[in-house]
Amino acid sequence: MERRELDYVVLNQVYVSVNGRELEHEASGNALLTELYRNHIADWPKFFKMDTLSKAGFVASELLFKEIGECRPGSEEFIQARAVVLFGVTASLCADRNYQETIQDKDNYYPSPALFVYTLPNIVTGEIAIRNHWRGETSFYVLETPDAAQMAFHLACAFQDQVTDSILAGWVDSSRNDDFQAFMTVVRREDAADTEWLAGQLKQMINILNNK
Amino acid sequence: MVRLIRCIADNVVSPLGLDSRSNYDSVRAGKSGLARYESMGNISTPFVLSRVDRVAIDALCGKLGIKGNYTFFEKFLLCSSVQAVREAGIDASSERVLFIVSTTKGNTSLLGQPQEGVSDERVLLGKAAREVSRFFGNPGSPLVVCNACISGVCAQIEAMRALRSGRYDYAVVIGADEQSPFIISGFLSFKAISDEPCRPFDKERKGLNLGECAATVVLEASDEIKGGWELVCGAIRNDANHISGPSRTGEGSYQALMEVLKECRRDELAFVNVHGTATAYNDEMESIALYRAGLIDVPVTGLKGYYGHTMGAAGIMESILSMYAVRDNTVLATRGYREQGVTYPVSVSSEVRECRGSEFIKLLSGFGGSNASLLYRLVE
Amino acid sequence: MEEMILKLKQEIIEVLNLEDIKPEDIDNDAPLFGEGLGLDSIDALELIVLMEKNYGIKLQDPAKGKEIFKSINVMADFIQKNRTR
Repeated sequence: MERRELDYVVLNQVYVSVNGRELEHEASGNALLTELYRNHIADWPKFFKMDTLSKAGFVASELLFKEIGECRPGSEEFIQARAVVLFGVTASLCADRNYQETIQDKDNYYPSPALFVYTLPNIVTGEIAIRNHWRGETSFYVLETPDAAQMAFHLACAFQDQVTDSILAGWVDSSRNDDFQAFMTVVRREDAADTEWLAGQLKQMINILNNK
Repeated sequence: MVRLIRCIADNVVSPLGLDSRSNYDSVRAGKSGLARYESMGNISTPFVLSRVDRVAIDALCGKLGIKGNYTFFEKFLLCSSVQAVREAGIDASSERVLFIVSTTKGNTSLLGQPQEGVSDERVLLGKAAREVSRFFGNPGSPLVVCNACISGVCAQIEAMRALRSGRYDYAVVIGADEQSPFIISGFLSFKAISDEPCRPFDKERKGLNLGECAATVVLEASDEIKGGWELVCGAIRNDANHISGPSRTGEGSYQALMEVLKECRRDELAFVNVHGTATAYNDEMESIALYRAGLIDVPVTGLKGYYGHTMGAAGIMESILSMYAVRDNTVLATRGYREQGVTYPVSVSSEVRECRGSEFIKLLSGFGGSNASLLYRLVE
Repeated sequence: MEEMILKLKQEIIEVLNLEDIKPEDIDNDAPLFGEGLGLDSIDALELIVLMEKNYGIKLQDPAKGKEIFKSINVMADFIQKNRTR
């Protein structure tokens, strides 16, 4: 059976591409995420409250949906058949460091709830679910390294939930505000039947990030 | 045939005991690990916490042969998992054994207080988990489930799936969290913490307590019915409403419950072990979800009044205690509850109750709008 | 008072990451929560931190916050009367 190639978006602090086509941009670092938001999304002001990890994941997912032409459901409609399963190595380290700064100094001690809420990497999955009205599974797994085979295995596992038809799958990392990387793709049930093939697809996305 | 997943060993390490049995007996007798703290480090607002004695953990490490420059969090995971793996009698160095760690903040305390001899990169959850799996000589790369407060249930669900795939024969699922100033100050900034022992579902409830616990289940995949505790099914569902507040209609919890109810034998359902954090919103939301799922008459039990909210350990520890309770034909008292304080009158009690039945549901909710449920069945 | 209100608006915009909003966009009597700026529960908690950090006012009860943060004018009035910085 001829398998389709997965659509994907890859980005880091200096680079962004959609299905291999590099997008033009002027900014780099965190400002790149803002530029991409303003040029390609622009209708979700909550973006500005997000931490870097959530911004990176959110922007990558939005660029992906534009590419594959997915429409947002009507405001009363919620979908369970789409899961969000993301992986990473740093988890919420960037947000953790930012929050730590607000509690480190006894003489300038002002713990920030807006920063604290992002000290959990699964918040990225929540932000995407809220934006898209998805009421299916949302999960975040932390790995030691970007291991495509490990990712493919756990994505295939997620389809054991019979309600799940497709997964927004991806990788998101950020250790500092101007240091992040992400890739996003949509994996359908039939894509996960051959985990070796799926791992190969994910490996290509990992390779792009490693070379940029 | 879908492979059966059995729990063949379990362990809980907490202020209430260093193994599951002593934890269960303490809770049955009404003891709690909660204590009020007026301050801690830079924190000067009072809070209630169930904190594990570091000296006791070090002593336990000595007894179990856990030596090395480990962080408290890693020692915590090891103390629990070493006991459970020994009880299970499995060879954890086999590639057919999967290690899964459930935690929200792992070694994050290293950010505020580095530990001598411990590399900075141990703040990465994968590295911390590797310290644990390496102790057992396991060759694989451990999976860390970091899905906020529902992680303990998610970790068990993922273990079930991994075992059902046929790739693994056993899963060692360990959950733990250290309640460092990082977490405590964060929840205080949310004004979510009570300065008194928490009161789940109670009219006067005013917030949660925090707690420390490490808990482990060892799961086995089997192609034949063997008896004992089976993990039947589980579900994870998002509210798609708000990143920190639960859905007002309990949407995700309701959906997660409905999913496991498909397999549940209603007349065998002994109780639902709820999240019951004692915040105004969580308990109200859970009561709505239980009502909508047709479970308003099913006994409900919450353990946060004994342990506080143990984050990454919660889903595992609370499941283990529920297993012991069902075998004991007991619905554990919901410590801290006095008078009904939610819209739908869930069947919660401050007294120990008797129950019949061989199944229970574990329900949890967490930041990010996530909710999870798990159905356990005792097969004699 | 006008200067104080302008400063307060700028602080709110910064602390709550209201990126595309300028002080002149915020009506002094408009509700801050619900409609208007559509602030949520986390924003309310951040405003409590702002009160303490910038004006030395400690609010222990978040429910009280909802009343004080009703509008810019109500907030400014409360600060004027209770500030210790």
